[in-house]
Amino acid sequence: MHSSLILLRIALVLYCLGFVGAFAPVLARMRTGRLTPWLALAGWGAHTGALVALGTALGRCPLATVPEVLSALAWTTVLVYLAVFWLYRLEVLHVVIPPLVLVVMFVSGLLPADVVPVSSSLQPSLRRVHLTVILFAVAALSISFAASVAYVLVDRALKSKRPGRFFFRLPSLESCDSVGQISLLWAFPLMTLGIVTGAVVSAAAHHTLWAWQPRETLAVIAWCILAVVIVARLAWGWRGRNAALLTIVAFGAVLLRMLGFY
Amino acid sequence: MPIVYGMNHVSAPLPVREKVAFPEQDLHDAMSRLKRTDGVDEALILSTCNRTEIIVQMAAERAPGVLAGFLRRERPVSGQELERHCYLYAGREAVRHVFRTAASLDSMVLGEAQILGQVKEAYALAGRVGSLGPVLDTLLRRAFAVAKRVRTESGIARHPVSIAYAAVNLARDIFGDLGERAVMIVGAGKMARLAAEHLKEGGVKSILVANRAYQRADELARELEGRAVPFDRLFEEMERVDIVIASTASPQPLILKENAQELNRARRGRPIFFIDIAVPRDVEVTVNEVDNVYLYDIDDLQGVVRAAMDERRKESRIAETIVDQETEAYLVWMKSLEVAPTIVELRRHLHDMAEQELSRHRARLGGLTPAQEEAVRQMAASLVNKLLHPPTLALKRYAAQNGGGMRVRLIREIFGMDPPSDGSSDTSRTEDTAPESAELPARRDHR
Repeated sequence: MHSSLILLRIALVLYCLGFVGAFAPVLARMRTGRLTPWLALAGWGAHTGALVALGTALGRCPLATVPEVLSALAWTTVLVYLAVFWLYRLEVLHVVIPPLVLVVMFVSGLLPADVVPVSSSLQPSLRRVHLTVILFAVAALSISFAASVAYVLVDRALKSKRPGRFFFRLPSLESCDSVGQISLLWAFPLMTLGIVTGAVVSAAAHHTLWAWQPRETLAVIAWCILAVVIVARLAWGWRGRNAALLTIVAFGAVLLRMLGFY
Repeated sequence: MPIVYGMNHVSAPLPVREKVAFPEQDLHDAMSRLKRTDGVDEALILSTCNRTEIIVQMAAERAPGVLAGFLRRERPVSGQELERHCYLYAGREAVRHVFRTAASLDSMVLGEAQILGQVKEAYALAGRVGSLGPVLDTLLRRAFAVAKRVRTESGIARHPVSIAYAAVNLARDIFGDLGERAVMIVGAGKMARLAAEHLKEGGVKSILVANRAYQRADELARELEGRAVPFDRLFEEMERVDIVIASTASPQPLILKENAQELNRARRGRPIFFIDIAVPRDVEVTVNEVDNVYLYDIDDLQGVVRAAMDERRKESRIAETIVDQETEAYLVWMKSLEVAPTIVELRRHLHDMAEQELSRHRARLGGLTPAQEEAVRQMAASLVNKLLHPPTLALKRYAAQNGGGMRVRLIREIFGMDPPSDGSSDTSRTEDTAPESAELPARRDHR
């Protein structure tokens, strides 16, 4: 238990450093941004160690309580972020994803460790599938969110006739749009699968498919918005600013649900 | 020490620069004449439309006279003009100036890329002439590295400083790679053609031309290897292009907000970029308010260029720090060059001594076997090397310090390379009387 905490602290510090590295150019005009992915990678390594240590200490998969799930969410998000960064070289991810990860980690750390289990422990294997699928869906969605934020930023910069006034190189509108779309195409099916398995788990626990709890409702609202974006993009060929704004709203709903505020 | 003598766009007006600039075909011979000039050890001439600079390795005291004399002989320029418009940098300042020049910090348009190529050409030519030596060769190669560092570590070359380049850059901000993009030119004027050519260089795939007089559109389309479209199908065609350059002579705007809104619906949110270079303007200003439609007119583009210049000036501060660091590093290297002859001399001096002692004692040692003799020889050599180690290190250390010269002289005196000094530091005399004076001219030159 102890070693997992130390590793978690190390991961947190490294994520923090990566975040600071991405923002340092504003203050000092230093080009520390290129360190961010490496710091994040180191942090992710420590985080992996922390999760493994926690798992062995508890003698079970560390996905049972809300803080554990949030910590795993941060881990998954960093993994997906690093993969996408090295594939597409979108520097803007550095300033969007690390703060998100930090928020999730801090909330995970603030909650008492013995907080109520996510749901009762019926059918633990199905619940694990449900959680894993949801975590990757949210991680992919966070990339889509970052690309959408970048899209809106670039759009505003171009409209205000003052492009290039950012401290880091923003990607082109087109690459924001395509990364947003690709990550959304990953996020949406995973999300759908996650919600379906969630309903099954809930059915097993509460003997009803749909409990009308606010958190579930929030998830479904987010899913509906995403469905609209997907259909608009794929069927009608819609893209651009509105698609980006809708994606941001959908991710906001998902994040609220994950952090447990409603 | 390295010397830079010459003039640039700041110090001299164009008529004078014209006279001093070397025609390309004369440069080769001029460099070789400069190298043969009395007092000049290494030489390079950099001659562009904005600057003519003579970069040499020679004694600083003689430089002004020798170099001004050289320029007066080579170019139709008076001594008075040279005096008024030329600058002379020596040592640290010369190194810094060469680095700044190569990094385009001394250019008329800050951060422009051409100058580095010109410096590289001059370096290659000097290499062919054979006028370079260790000092200038290293100086120039360091300068290329500095220029590269400046370009990658500061944003000095990142921001566009011409209207055409600004437009191409904006198109890249929107579309990324321009390879699959189509451009439409509305109006067949000279400006439109110019802009289209820039975008074509930028890599756009296809060009459409629309003009009220179809004949002109057709001509221009053929010139640009594009396609002419009838003017009444303007908006239909716009649904399929990504960039529109408007430059008609129409007194009223051609493209209104309603058109843009309709266009955005038809294009389903795919971004479109209007570049309006017509005066009076062809595109209504409010078109920019339509989602996914981006409009830049001449003033907007000029604003981008102005902002870019400011940005480059800001970035140049980072670049100057890089140049300062690299200048110091180069000077340290040069100082180590200064003591190199002394180190070589010291080694030879002590090894000779050991050699002499060996041959003197050989008779007394009697009949040694070859193996024994080799052992004695090796022992002597290793003894000398051991003794040499600390003073060699000390010399290298002193080289990096200011005022290390006195300590260097002390070491020379201690090891009997120079006769004892009488307190005055008359180096020329000690060098004349020092043993193995063949080493010494080089030493004097590097000082």
